[in-house]
Amino acid sequence: MTDPILNVVGLNKHFGGIRVTRELNISISRGAKEAIIGPNGAGKSTLFNLLTGYHRPESGTIVFEGNDITNWATHQIAHAGISRAFQISNIFTRLTVLENVRTAVHVRMGKAGNIFASAQRIGTTETEKILKRCHLVEKSSHIAGELAQGDKKKLELAIALAGKPRLLLLDEPTAGMSFEETRETMTLVDKLNDDLGLSVLFTEHDMAVVFNHAQRVSLLHRGEIIVEGTPEEVRRDEMAQRVYLGEHH
Amino acid sequence: MNLENSATQTTDTRRKPMGMLSVRVLALLFVVFLAAPAVLGEFWVEVATEILILGLFAMSFNLIYGYMGQISFGHAAFFGLGAYATAMLFREFTGGTEEISYLQFFVSLAAGIPLAAFGALLVGYFCIRLTGIYFAILTLAFGELLFFVVFSWYSFTGGDDGIQRLLPPPLFRDPVMYYYLCFVIVIAAMAVMWRIVHSPFGYLLRAMRDNQERTRFLGINTRIYMLINFVIAGSFAGLAGALWGPFTRSVAPTLLGWQESGIAVFMTLLGGSAFFAGPMVGSIIYTFLHAWVTGFTQYWPLTIGAIILIIVLFSPGGLLGAIDAWRRIRTRQGSSGVADNTLVKEEPDS
Amino acid sequence: MELDLNLVLSQLLAGVSRAMVLFLLASGLSLIFGVMNILNFAHATMWLLGGYITFSLYEGMGGEGPLLLMIAIIGGTIVMAALGALTERFLIRRMYDRELPEQLLLTFALLLIVGDIIKIIWGVEDRSVYLDIEALEVGGTFINPYYFVIIAVGIAVAAGLWWFLQKTRYGRIVRAAVYNRDMVSALGIRIPLIYMGVFALGVAIAGFAAGVFLPLMPMALGVDIDLIVQCFAVVVIGGFGSILGTFVGSLLVGVVYAFSILIWPDGALAVVFLIVVAVLMWRPWGLFGTELRY
Repeated sequence: MTDPILNVVGLNKHFGGIRVTRELNISISRGAKEAIIGPNGAGKSTLFNLLTGYHRPESGTIVFEGNDITNWATHQIAHAGISRAFQISNIFTRLTVLENVRTAVHVRMGKAGNIFASAQRIGTTETEKILKRCHLVEKSSHIAGELAQGDKKKLELAIALAGKPRLLLLDEPTAGMSFEETRETMTLVDKLNDDLGLSVLFTEHDMAVVFNHAQRVSLLHRGEIIVEGTPEEVRRDEMAQRVYLGEHH
Repeated sequence: MNLENSATQTTDTRRKPMGMLSVRVLALLFVVFLAAPAVLGEFWVEVATEILILGLFAMSFNLIYGYMGQISFGHAAFFGLGAYATAMLFREFTGGTEEISYLQFFVSLAAGIPLAAFGALLVGYFCIRLTGIYFAILTLAFGELLFFVVFSWYSFTGGDDGIQRLLPPPLFRDPVMYYYLCFVIVIAAMAVMWRIVHSPFGYLLRAMRDNQERTRFLGINTRIYMLINFVIAGSFAGLAGALWGPFTRSVAPTLLGWQESGIAVFMTLLGGSAFFAGPMVGSIIYTFLHAWVTGFTQYWPLTIGAIILIIVLFSPGGLLGAIDAWRRIRTRQGSSGVADNTLVKEEPDS
Repeated sequence: MELDLNLVLSQLLAGVSRAMVLFLLASGLSLIFGVMNILNFAHATMWLLGGYITFSLYEGMGGEGPLLLMIAIIGGTIVMAALGALTERFLIRRMYDRELPEQLLLTFALLLIVGDIIKIIWGVEDRSVYLDIEALEVGGTFINPYYFVIIAVGIAVAAGLWWFLQKTRYGRIVRAAVYNRDMVSALGIRIPLIYMGVFALGVAIAGFAAGVFLPLMPMALGVDIDLIVQCFAVVVIGGFGSILGTFVGSLLVGVVYAFSILIWPDGALAVVFLIVVAVLMWRPWGLFGTELRY
């Protein structure tokens, strides 16, 4: 519980007259695997947008590995070691699966500005390793935009992993996946967390996934974390039952 | 049951379009262009020279359009800057005598690149802050701005008279020799471009075309990479422009104008922006068509407008896109049982 | 520099009336872009076509007097509305799902085609209408009173558009379509009809503007290019989708253009572009637009 990799204090964000994030505090330990749950519109995606510099908060601070990254640009935050996989797959639709991941690997290696080298010869082993890990090897020459929904989400995760992050943000990683794909993906997430010590923060609708895979759970409601604890504690919490879990069970 | 079959089938048909088709077309083009002067008369050799120069210009435009996914309506500004850099050095070297040494000639040609690159750096610095429709309008505005500067700066650029009597040294006054000079330079430029679009940078451009926002989440400062590409594209346009002046023996401000920019856009669309060789193929179609159609009608805009309309509506991939689609249909029909597989695949799981 | 008050006054009037034609064109352009996300390159060319059609109607009816001109303008407006509806139905409608460059290219092709069709039908001569109006003397300068007609018409159309968008049911639907297409179709309103209506309205306003300007501004080939580029300038400066922004942008461009012509005749457009560049750098969504749409 010591040495948080990410520490968010007093985060506020308005859109027009609507407060989407209010005095939000959250702290992620190094090597943790935490879930954020909450009803639609609770501010989960906004929180991820704030953490990755896509939106700027009005006040509050975001500290990652001791650096205040509150007002950093998106690309700087990515370089600092935070990768993000999106809820609605956000891939490079006209590139092949392999090219998608390889490009992300090039960027991480700092080779994206290399104008004259052959792209095929750089970062190949790493790309193949990631494709294998994400069960995408057979699909590697497919055009990404033509993949099935579940494969798109796998690719989404693969691109995020290519950044060799130390903190991985997953927005609904199993949305649109079959039962089998969900199991595969969450096993992979567990493995990344166990073997490589990668810190993971994910949002998820499927409570079975949350309670089976998260070490800690935060419940976000109207832009605030209202309950926080182990899956067991959150499950038993009365408030959590009332605002969110009740409608699911 | 049929899973394996359908998997191989999809790998076959869903290959990326930038690959083999371009290589074959390029090999064919190389042979045709190499042999062309042997069979063509002087008029058509000059048309072929125009194809090469404008084709290079269109290919440079496609670095921004096909690879980076932004549409520029001001790309001719860099074509024109290149042309003027060469023409003005020419004027200095000849001093009104119509005599220029080979060294001076090549120095003048080379000068087109740095001036165009510098222009692209200046204009690009502003344009890359925006994308989509705003990028299109801003490039148009800057292109016209440069046009007006060249147009009204009589003392320096000759204003709307342009610069005349750009006579190359004796050897290259022969249309066939000038054609081969352009051939060698354009081939070299295309080789460099081929390297660039197949480099990590080239793939990053495609990624930015597909989803610029996501590249930021990978750690890319998109503006810088857009600017680099804008300057590279401008430099190649400048080289094409440099070849233009000695070819037509003159330069005029219209070389920087929006009509000239439109030519690059049309050529790219005609050939197919998704293919490396697309703009060059488009240049062949456009230039031949132009040379032929203007021979018997003054309604060239109507002709090209109608062609563009038909292409946009029915074959947005251009000629190479149509060929590519046709080849895929043929391979699908060629191997038996494939159609059945697709049917099986679409049946709901039992 | 010697400041000639008369010159300033007449340039100002010329600038403001130029601003009116810009406004009438750009408001349609901006409305179409706001609702359908289509930038119509051919908008000014359609304006030109409307002018020629109105001219032919006027000549066909005998070509005399302001009353006949008014009838011709109404006729021209109706013809342009119909042409606009047909263009939307058979061409633009196929482009809504396409990528931006393809949409731009389609309307650009229209610009070339319509321009040449005008050339085929009406030839290369300029066409204008002569109205016998006595010049008005203001402090020693003679001013064509028709300028005031133009300005009044421009303001009336601006007010009418504002009233339509703010106060009528259809106007509210159109405004809603700018912000949220899904919501409008969820309300059970037929989006294709709205799109066709908006496109027809935009083109009709353009045709109307051309007719109104016939006594002041001859219809000539190539004028459309100058105008469309300035209209882009207007909507970028004012902000897409904002009628007020379009009005202010038109005034700015029209007046700046009129005075630049005195100082740097060849570069008047260049000055307009400089303003565009400045606005795009500082507020890419325009002076009156909302950041949302950027």
